[in-house]
Amino acid sequence: MTHAPVPGRTTAAPIPVATGASPGWRGVRLAMVTLLVISAVGPPALLAMLSASQSWFYPALLPTGWTADAWSAVVRRGPLARAVGTSVVLGLTTGVVGCVLAAPIGRALARLHGAARHVAVAAAVLPAAAPPIAVATGLQLTFVRAQLAGTPVGVVLAHLVPAVGVLSFFFFAVFTAYDTRLDDEARSLGASPRQVWLRVTLPTLRPQLGAGVGLGFLVSWGQVPLTLVIGGGRVHTLPLEVMGYVQAGETRFAAAAALLLILLPIVLLLVASARLVRGSAPASAPAPASAPAPASAPASAPTRVSA
Amino acid sequence: MLAAAACGHRAAARDATRDATRDATRGVTRGVTPGLASAAALARMPWDSVVARARGSTVRWLLWRGDPAINHYVDEWLAPRLAMRYGITLDPVDAQGPAILNALVVEREAGRTVGTADLLWINGETFHNLRREGLLAGPWARSLPAAALVDTASPIVARDFGEDPAGYESPWGRVELALIYDSTRTPEPPRTYEALADWVHAHPGRFTYDQGFTGLAFLTGLMIHLGGGASRFTGPFDSARYVAASARLWDWLARARPDLWRHGAAYPQGVAQLEHLFANREVDFAMSYNENEVVSKVRDGALPATSRAYVLRDGALANAHFVAIPFNAPNAAGAMVVANVLLSPEAQLEKARPDGWGDGSVLAVDRLPPEWARRFARLPADARQVPRDTLARYAEPEASPRYSELLQSDWRTHVRTGTTEHPSAGGDPESRTTRPALRSGP
Amino acid sequence: MTARASGSAPGAALAGLVAAPVVVGLGYSAAAAIGLAGPAARGLSLVHIDRVMRDATVWRGLAWTIYAAALATALATAAAVAVAIGFRGTGIGDRLARIAALVPFPIPYVVAAAGAVLVLGQSGLLARLAAAAGVIHDPSGFPPLVLDRPGLGFILTFAWKEVPFLTFVAVSVLATRGQQLEETARTLGASPAATLRRVTVPLLWRGLAPAVVLVFIFIAGTYEGAALLGPTDPLPFAVATYERYQALDLTLRGDGFVLTLLGLILGLAAVAVFEWTRARAERLRS
Repeated sequence: MTHAPVPGRTTAAPIPVATGASPGWRGVRLAMVTLLVISAVGPPALLAMLSASQSWFYPALLPTGWTADAWSAVVRRGPLARAVGTSVVLGLTTGVVGCVLAAPIGRALARLHGAARHVAVAAAVLPAAAPPIAVATGLQLTFVRAQLAGTPVGVVLAHLVPAVGVLSFFFFAVFTAYDTRLDDEARSLGASPRQVWLRVTLPTLRPQLGAGVGLGFLVSWGQVPLTLVIGGGRVHTLPLEVMGYVQAGETRFAAAAALLLILLPIVLLLVASARLVRGSAPASAPAPASAPAPASAPASAPTRVSA
Repeated sequence: MLAAAACGHRAAARDATRDATRDATRGVTRGVTPGLASAAALARMPWDSVVARARGSTVRWLLWRGDPAINHYVDEWLAPRLAMRYGITLDPVDAQGPAILNALVVEREAGRTVGTADLLWINGETFHNLRREGLLAGPWARSLPAAALVDTASPIVARDFGEDPAGYESPWGRVELALIYDSTRTPEPPRTYEALADWVHAHPGRFTYDQGFTGLAFLTGLMIHLGGGASRFTGPFDSARYVAASARLWDWLARARPDLWRHGAAYPQGVAQLEHLFANREVDFAMSYNENEVVSKVRDGALPATSRAYVLRDGALANAHFVAIPFNAPNAAGAMVVANVLLSPEAQLEKARPDGWGDGSVLAVDRLPPEWARRFARLPADARQVPRDTLARYAEPEASPRYSELLQSDWRTHVRTGTTEHPSAGGDPESRTTRPALRSGP
Repeated sequence: MTARASGSAPGAALAGLVAAPVVVGLGYSAAAAIGLAGPAARGLSLVHIDRVMRDATVWRGLAWTIYAAALATALATAAAVAVAIGFRGTGIGDRLARIAALVPFPIPYVVAAAGAVLVLGQSGLLARLAAAAGVIHDPSGFPPLVLDRPGLGFILTFAWKEVPFLTFVAVSVLATRGQQLEETARTLGASPAATLRRVTVPLLWRGLAPAVVLVFIFIAGTYEGAALLGPTDPLPFAVATYERYQALDLTLRGDGFVLTLLGLILGLAAVAVFEWTRARAERLRS
C-alpha cells in the first residue's frame, strides 16, 4: 500500500520519524493499532452476528437466538443471490468500460497546460462531486426517452458517469507522474503513436489499469441513487437490497446483504494490498493467471479491446 | 435555452394522446404488445376477450417490496397461480407512491406513450395526485367480474381518503392504524387520546412517533379526534375545519413535547426506526398501519414476543389500498386480469392469514358464496392481534388527502423546528405561501 | 509542446462529455425549479425559488451540513495523517495498521450509517456495554449520539468511513516524495522533530488537500447517513432535498429542484476549491 499510483518509482525503507522510540510512543502505537484492527474487524463481525440472530434486543450483549434463514435464502438463490450477480456484472462492466474511456481522458488532461488544464480537470471531477440525485434526475429524462431507463445497460451507462469522473482524475494523476521517456524512445525507434499506446504505455501501466478497474468497480458496487432512479426498481443490486431491508426494519436480512456487500471488496482489497505491501514492482506484476480477478482481467482488457 | 428545451418536453407531452393512438396501432400490428388497448376500452369488452388478450403476457407491477411477508405472498402464492391459470408472467418491481408519481411524470415529459408499468399499488395521496395529474387510465375497475364481491357498503373500501375511486383503481386490501405495546412493560396501555396524553406526562421520554407515513397517520387520527371526530371530516377538504382542528393538534403536541422522546427535539425517520426504538426499550410504543403486522414482526424477531397491537377507543384510522393502471400501460388487459385475481375470495383469504401477510379483506362476507364466508370466519386468530370485532367497531375512514398534505408540510415547518408560534396562529392559511393548491383547488 | 497540447483536444472534449450529464441535470433542475418541468409544473413561476430562499430551516440545515462534514473531514484527515506518519515502517505492526486502516474503504455509506445506529444508538452496543457495567440503567442514560443536534454519531461514523481513502492518499504522498525531502532536511542538520514539523506535515497537507476537499464533498452529500444519524432539526441538506422530492403536496416537489440546484452550485464551488488545492499540490511536485 506504500505505492502511489505512479510507475517507475519504488519505495525504499522509510526513515523512522522518531528514532529510539520511547515506551510512551510504543503505547500510543499499540493503542492505535488495536483501534484500527477493531475498526476493521468489528463491522464484519457485527454484521455476521446480526445476520444470524433471531432477536437481539437491548440490553442483551449477544443475540438471544440464532437462525440461518437469511443465509439459507441466499443459498437458495433468492433475490439476494441474484442481486450479488447483478452487482458483480455491473461493477466489472463499469470498471472495464470506465478505464477504456477514462485512460485517454486522463492522459489528455495530463498534457494540458494553464487554464485549459484547470477547466478540464474540474469538468472531469464534477460528475463525481455533484449531488448524485442531481445527476440522476438530469439523466432520467434522457434515459427514459432513449428507452434505457430500467435496463441494465442504462444502469451501467448511469454508473459510468461518476465512475468516469473518478477514473479520469485517477488516470490524470497516473499520467501526470508517468515517465514519458519510454514512449519517446519507442517513437524514436519508429513506432506509431497507436503502437506506443498499445505496446508501451498500456503494458507499463498494467497495475494502474488493474487498480482503475477496481476503483470503477467500487463506484458501481456501492451506488444507490443512480440505480434507484435509472433502474426504476427493475435492476436489483446489492446496495438496493440493503437499503430496502434497512427501510423495512428487517435487520437480519439487511445485515446478510450488507455483509455480502462489504466482504467481496474487502477480500479483493486485502489480496491487492498484500501484493502491494510485499513490494512487487509495477513492472514485475504477477502473471494474469495468478493475479486476483479484478486486477488481471481488466488489466489486459484495454489491450484486447483495441488489438 | 434550457427553458426552451423544457418547453419542448411539455409540447411533446401534449401530443401524447395522438402518439398513443399511433403507437397502439403499430404495437398491435407488430404483435409485440398483445394487450395494447386502453383500460377504458377494455372495460367495455366482454371479460372473456380481456382474458384472451391477457393470456401469455407479462404484467409489470410497481409495488413496495420492503416486506418479506408481502413479497412471499406475491412471489410464492400469486405469481405461480397467474402463470398456471392465465399464462401471465408477473414482474413485480420495487417502487413506492412518491417515486411512482415522479417516474410517470418523467415518462410523460419524455413522450413515452407506451410506458413500462402495467399495474401500480397505491392509495390516498398518491391516487389523488396521479389522478389530478392525469396519469391514470380508466375507468375500468368496476368492470371486473370480482368487483361484485367488494364491500362497497364500507366507507373505508368504497372511498380512498374520502375520494371516489371512480373506477380508476380497484381495491386490494384494508388496514387499520394500531398502536403496539409490550405487555410486560405496559400491562395497562392507555385506551384514549386523553389517557395517552396522561401516560406521556407520567412517563417522560417514553413516547414518540415517526416522520414517515405511519407517524403522519397517527397525527391525522389525532387531529380528526380533536376536531370533533370522523363524521366532521367526510367530504372535500375544508380549510376552516383544518385550521381549527390543526390548532388543537399543535396545542396537544406542544403540551406533550417536553415529555416526548428526546423532549420532542428529534423524531425517528420512519416507522422501521420507531420499531427499533420500541424493541430496544428506548420508547414504549410503536405503531403500524397494519393491525396484524405485529404477528409477522414478532415471528421475524424484529419485535419482542410480548408485543401486542391495539386500537384507541376514540377511533382508529382505517384505509384501503388499491391497484391502478397508469395512462401508458403497455398491457392493460393483463393488469385487469391480475386485479381481478387479487379480488378473488381465494386470494383475499390467503392474504388475510395472520401467519402470512395478515392484510384485511375488502370483500363483503354476505356477498360471498357460503363456503367462502365460512372459510373467512374460520381464519385463525392470534393473541397479539386486535380482535376483529374491535377493529370493526373503532375503524374510521381517512379524511381528504389534502388534510394529510397540509399536516405534513405544517408539521415539518413548525412542529419539527420547535417554533412556539403555531402554524394556525398565523391566521388565514390562504395568505401563506404553502397554499398553492388552494389556488387550483383540491 | 504545442503539438502535444493540440493533440489533446479530443481528450479535453471527452472531459467535457464526462461533465455533460451534470450540465443536463443542471438544466432539468433549473427548468423544474421555475415550474417548467417536473411534477405539478404549471408554467413559469418563481414561487419555488422564493419559498426556498425565505425558508430559514433550509439555511440552518445547510449550515449544519457544512459544520458536520467539515468536522468529520478534519477528524478523518488527522487520523489518516497519524497513521501515515506513525506507521511508515516495514514491521509487522506498521503493515497491519496500514491494512487495517484501509479495510473500511469499500463499506458503503448506507451500511456504515445503519451499523452506526446499532453501535452508537442509546440502545446500541456501547450503551449495552455501559448497562452491563452498571454505568447506565436505562437507554436514556446513555448520551444521544444518533439523531442528535451536534451530530456526534454522524461525525464519528463518517470520519471513520473516510480514514481509509485519506490514509491511502497520505501514504502515497509520503512514499513518493517524502523520502527525498526528509533525507535532504536531515542531511542539512534538521532534527527529527523539525523535519516532521517543517517538511513532512506541510508536504502531507499540500498533497492531501485535494483528497480532503473530495471527502468533504462526499460527506456533505450523503443522504443515507444524514437520514439515519443526523438531527431532526436542523435537518441536513440532503434530507431536506429528498424530503421535498417525496412531498405529498406536489407543489412542494418543485422546491426539491431548487435545493438540487443549490447543491449543484455548491458542488461547483467545491470543485473549484478542489482544483485550486490540486494545482497548488501539483506545483509543489514539479
